[in-house]
Amino acid sequence: GTEDKKVRKSNISYSKPSWLPHDSEVRDLQLFVDRKYETVILPVFGIPTPFHIATIKNISQSIEGDYTYLRINFYHPGSSLGRNEGNIFPQPDATFLKEITYRSSNTKEPGEISAPSLNLNTAFRLIKEVQKKFKTREAEEREKEG
Amino acid sequence: MSDFQEYGDVVQEIRGAVNPGRLKLQSNSVIFKNNKTGKVEQFTGMEVNTSEWLKRARGHCLKFRLNNGNVHRFDGFKDDDFEKLASFISKYYSVSLEKRDVSVKGWNWGLAKFEGNSLEFDIDNKLAFEIPLNNVSHSTTAKNEVTLEFHMNDDAAVSLTEIRFHIPNDPKDSEKDTVQE
Repeated sequence: GTEDKKVRKSNISYSKPSWLPHDSEVRDLQLFVDRKYETVILPVFGIPTPFHIATIKNISQSIEGDYTYLRINFYHPGSSLGRNEGNIFPQPDATFLKEITYRSSNTKEPGEISAPSLNLNTAFRLIKEVQKKFKTREAEEREKEG
Repeated sequence: MSDFQEYGDVVQEIRGAVNPGRLKLQSNSVIFKNNKTGKVEQFTGMEVNTSEWLKRARGHCLKFRLNNGNVHRFDGFKDDDFEKLASFISKYYSVSLEKRDVSVKGWNWGLAKFEGNSLEFDIDNKLAFEIPLNNVSHSTTAKNEVTLEFHMNDDAAVSLTEIRFHIPNDPKDSEKDTVQE
């Protein structure tokens, strides 16, 4: 028969660069949430860098003065004991991106339809949504496995 | 082959903002003029140590690393600019234009390495992102952790303010630290 023991595979966002979405947020160095591929695309100094939703531990948003901040915390060794049975880190001795924070202005410039921070607000809402779906599905799969 | 090439719709990414400009490659130098500020960036062909071609937010990026470690990036190139640029750069600056793959795997773990004045983060031997170190305003280290804070750019709709890395233990210490956790 087939092997009973399932090896948890790493989730992959895209199999090749041409699959990266071409939405205006990606071009304009803003955050973009690809719901279909359950991936958050973060602008890092000119490179739209995808992160699969499975790598994201939690997110938080805060408003300080004229700015909105969005902080994304990622899973890394030592951060997530008890999340899953077994070792969820295929390369525990690698360097991990642990946290990333973005800032955006709440002030609408003349002629603008919305304040720049709308991008962070939208990303916050969509990441929560995709994360919820992903976690529900993961829990269901674990239940099926018994 | 003409002894210069000019690209009128190049853009340069500066801390999250896109600046349009004009790039001129001459037989002995590279000149970029920022259309907004009028600021000119210039270096000689002899200073060029490596050149790379990679996909970024605005089409393809032409990236020069100079002998002194400084990195210059110009974005907004099209697929078919490659051949033309590659033969010019090889003929006049004596370096080959290397295609660099970017990682789209979506992982947050990889290898961080310093290349000139950049910190490059590779996933599976492909570039995931890079941090030009002149953007770093402050850095701190703690146990297993490195934090980089960045200069802000008011022209950027979205600014990256901070990045934190988890750095694994030295294998020699791993036994002790596992016990602590």
